Amino acid sequence: MDNQLTPSFAPFVGMSGIAFAMIFGCLGAAYGTAKSGIGISGVGTYRPDLIMKCLIPVVMSGILAVYALVISVLIASDIRPPPEKNYSLYNGIMHMAAGLSVGLPGLAAGYAIGIVGDVGVRAYMRQSRIFVGMVLILIFAEVLGLYGLIVALILNTRAVG
Amino acid sequence: MATRRIISSTNDPLDVDASGAPQAPGPSNIAPAVPASVLFKLLSFTFAMVTLPIGTYFFITNYVLVGNNTVAGALAAVMANVVLIAYIVMAYQDDQAEQKEDAEKEKKAI
Repeated sequence: MDNQLTPSFAPFVGMSGIAFAMIFGCLGAAYGTAKSGIGISGVGTYRPDLIMKCLIPVVMSGILAVYALVISVLIASDIRPPPEKNYSLYNGIMHMAAGLSVGLPGLAAGYAIGIVGDVGVRAYMRQSRIFVGMVLILIFAEVLGLYGLIVALILNTRAVG
Repeated sequence: MATRRIISSTNDPLDVDASGAPQAPGPSNIAPAVPASVLFKLLSFTFAMVTLPIGTYFFITNYVLVGNNTVAGALAAVMANVVLIAYIVMAYQDDQAEQKEDAEKEKKAI
């Protein structure tokens, strides 16, 4: 039924959450991959033996995209067309918040991973002791995206109906 | 006579490389620059990264905890991090092994 609590535009708001999660999360992952990929290519021409160790920022950027993917699949499994399920405006806005809260931290984490990955990998080429520090900084950048995922998962448990 | 072919029997410039030494007659080195073990490691991590999180999610929602999506989503994220930690541990061990080799080489040099 189309009433004040379940208006016809509620699914639009909820679907925008899916789109926000994927768009911003993948923007962050793409920036992190590309920027650290520039650094890895620069290192690889001088020290090809270090490439395996330098790929860590790329793996981390990939994980950011996995976070966005998980939330998108979760939200998408909650949305059904009207005769099957009356999708409330509350659920729609909550799903939008979940999508934004995993997407924008993903963008922030990807930006940090990209810059640290690029510069850290180049520094690692000259000084091998920087490896542990670089990985630690990358993990702290990665955790930013994880916080967004946790908030999005908690928001998603509030879904009713 | 303008189309006469140059016939050189011994010192063909095409047989000599830039350094002036004649090339070895044996087969050239066509082994891949990246060893197969490294390639296998990379491919297996890529495969795990692609399939493990999303596979965990659908396995748990469909078979273990039917209808409980949140736990499945959290576990999918955990699996992605497990792959990452495995990769970091592997890279760190490679680092340690290389440092040991370098130290042994230095000892031998002294």
